[in-house]
Amino acid sequence: MSLLSDPKAAVDDLSRPEAWVLGVSVAFALFLLGALLTGALGPTYFLFLVGLAGMYALLSFGLNAQWGFTGLINFSVAAFFGIGAYGSALMTADSSPIAGGFNPLVGLAVALVVAFVLALLIGIPTLRLRADYLAIASLGLAEVVRLIVLNERWLTNGSAGVRGIPSFFEGWPVFSTLPETMPGLRLVVIPGSPILLGTSFWRASLNVLLVLAFAGATFFVLRRAHRSPWGRVLRTIRSDEDLARALGKNTYSYKMQSFVLGSLIMALAGVFYTHLNLYVGPGDLDPITTFYAWVAVILGGSGSNRGALFGGIVIVTIREGTRFLNDVALPIDPAPLRLLLIGVVIVAVMRYRPQGILPPQRELIWPSAVDDRDPPDPPSSGVREQKGGGGDE
Amino acid sequence: MSEGALPKDDAVLRVDDLQKSFGGLAATDHATFAVERGTITGLIGPNGAGKSTLFNLISGFYEPDGGTVEVNGTDVTGMEPYQVADHGLIRTFQTPRKLEGMTVREAMLVGPRNQPGESFVNLFARPGTVGESESTNLAEAERILEEFEIDHLATQPATDISGGQMKLVELARAMLAEPEVLLLDEPVAGVNPTLAKKLKDQIRRLNEQGTTFLLIEHDMEFVMDLADPIVVLDQGSVLTEGTPEEVQGDDRVIDAYLGGGT
Repeated sequence: MSLLSDPKAAVDDLSRPEAWVLGVSVAFALFLLGALLTGALGPTYFLFLVGLAGMYALLSFGLNAQWGFTGLINFSVAAFFGIGAYGSALMTADSSPIAGGFNPLVGLAVALVVAFVLALLIGIPTLRLRADYLAIASLGLAEVVRLIVLNERWLTNGSAGVRGIPSFFEGWPVFSTLPETMPGLRLVVIPGSPILLGTSFWRASLNVLLVLAFAGATFFVLRRAHRSPWGRVLRTIRSDEDLARALGKNTYSYKMQSFVLGSLIMALAGVFYTHLNLYVGPGDLDPITTFYAWVAVILGGSGSNRGALFGGIVIVTIREGTRFLNDVALPIDPAPLRLLLIGVVIVAVMRYRPQGILPPQRELIWPSAVDDRDPPDPPSSGVREQKGGGGDE
Repeated sequence: MSEGALPKDDAVLRVDDLQKSFGGLAATDHATFAVERGTITGLIGPNGAGKSTLFNLISGFYEPDGGTVEVNGTDVTGMEPYQVADHGLIRTFQTPRKLEGMTVREAMLVGPRNQPGESFVNLFARPGTVGESESTNLAEAERILEEFEIDHLATQPATDISGGQMKLVELARAMLAEPEVLLLDEPVAGVNPTLAKKLKDQIRRLNEQGTTFLLIEHDMEFVMDLADPIVVLDQGSVLTEGTPEEVQGDDRVIDAYLGGGT
């Protein structure tokens, strides 16, 4: 099954949409590589985009853990993202009106604790009720958090935002000075347009490393959780909460766990964003972030971690890729075009592939339990495929 | 108002003076009966007699206005459904519940109670234990599917099988929860006669292996053949209880079905 040990078999094992996505991804990567080598895309900016893609992937992972796994409708993605961003910014920045100057790891811890408490506070009254109450309450929560951040100047600097945020590796041995100590590189791929890799490039590389670590760890945790009996209970709740209750599952507790887990992941995305952008303002809490995350999850396929990753990357491609359209003569501005494109993508997905591009396609049973059986059951690929094809729902 | 008067020394489920109203309608009106361990007890009554309400009250989905429910001698009145299930009472639903995106055997694996892998912490702290219990449960699920003669469906999408097969899966899954008493809400509604007979055989077999059943069923032939004793519910309270013959010969029961209801 491993891509490394037996690439041919691994590729043969893919379902059609998987192969399709793999192909498009490879083509896209080659395109980016070409742009990088020819100097059309600055390497530092490219790494910033990779960081942004990682951040959106984290947001989608978080929402997927709530909506995709358990069916919880959370419209306060931006709020938890903002809690993460402001939590770490206020702890670490020079200009912080409260504490400030702490090690970023302290900021990370504080951000996660605040997000945890907030998730509990909103979950306790709403998770016992029907799903729509959480949706409404979370919509309100997002606005409350945004307005507090905007208006409570003594706490957040208000509309001025928080500046002077150190990089995440500030104060670490080796890492904190790595960008300065790395040698500047000069690559000449095409004669006449050399590519310079200096301090900012290395700093961006560290950020990418950080987001890869965050997203990688999150992906590992979610994948294991998704295939476990724990994840199975969540999926049962999503399909039919009463059934889970009748079978002796404490659904309130499971919904709370899923909600808190997702919220923590969103806060993690916020923490990363703080140290990527080095500035946070109330504008970062705009509801549009919430909807980008929703688009990413629905596009990728609700319930699928890979889908969430894919959706996050697509969102960044549309959001940032449209900037390059400035050079092309277009009848409309790129900014509205961005929203239009996202709208078109969503309509197209809903019309032609309502389950999303990469929905979960294999049985989710704890791997060792399935591997034990001999001969190994053929992976019953396309559980959802068949359903989607039949159009019975 | 005659009540379940049969002597029951070893009741696995005891319902005493249970009441529930919706607005002005007394859906359950001082219902009292007990289910003796080892029996298949039938619960019948005309439409609107309050059978499903009674099930919801017993299993903790509704909170009663008054009265008590005891499972295995423990008072479970007002408990959450999962707590009632922990005391050994499992129920099924009238319409089969679909688990989207799961295969049949995945859907089966929701059944076992208190799996170590249902704790998030265990997934990372004790993955070995989780894996072992998952292997055991999977083997058990496949064994039960085989007993139900639906093992060929194991890797089919759980939403793509027929309604009757869903009922079988639901019963099989409930058995994985190892209930002491299993409440079945219309197990053969909408099921073709061949499958209904199969379901009947399975229920009988499981009963012989020690599971107590309480079942609501409208199919008189089915319930009279399978269940003994039979509790008759009318307008929210227990009208009578007895063997199938006694119940069938009781004028009040005939009245309730033919005249009294409307």
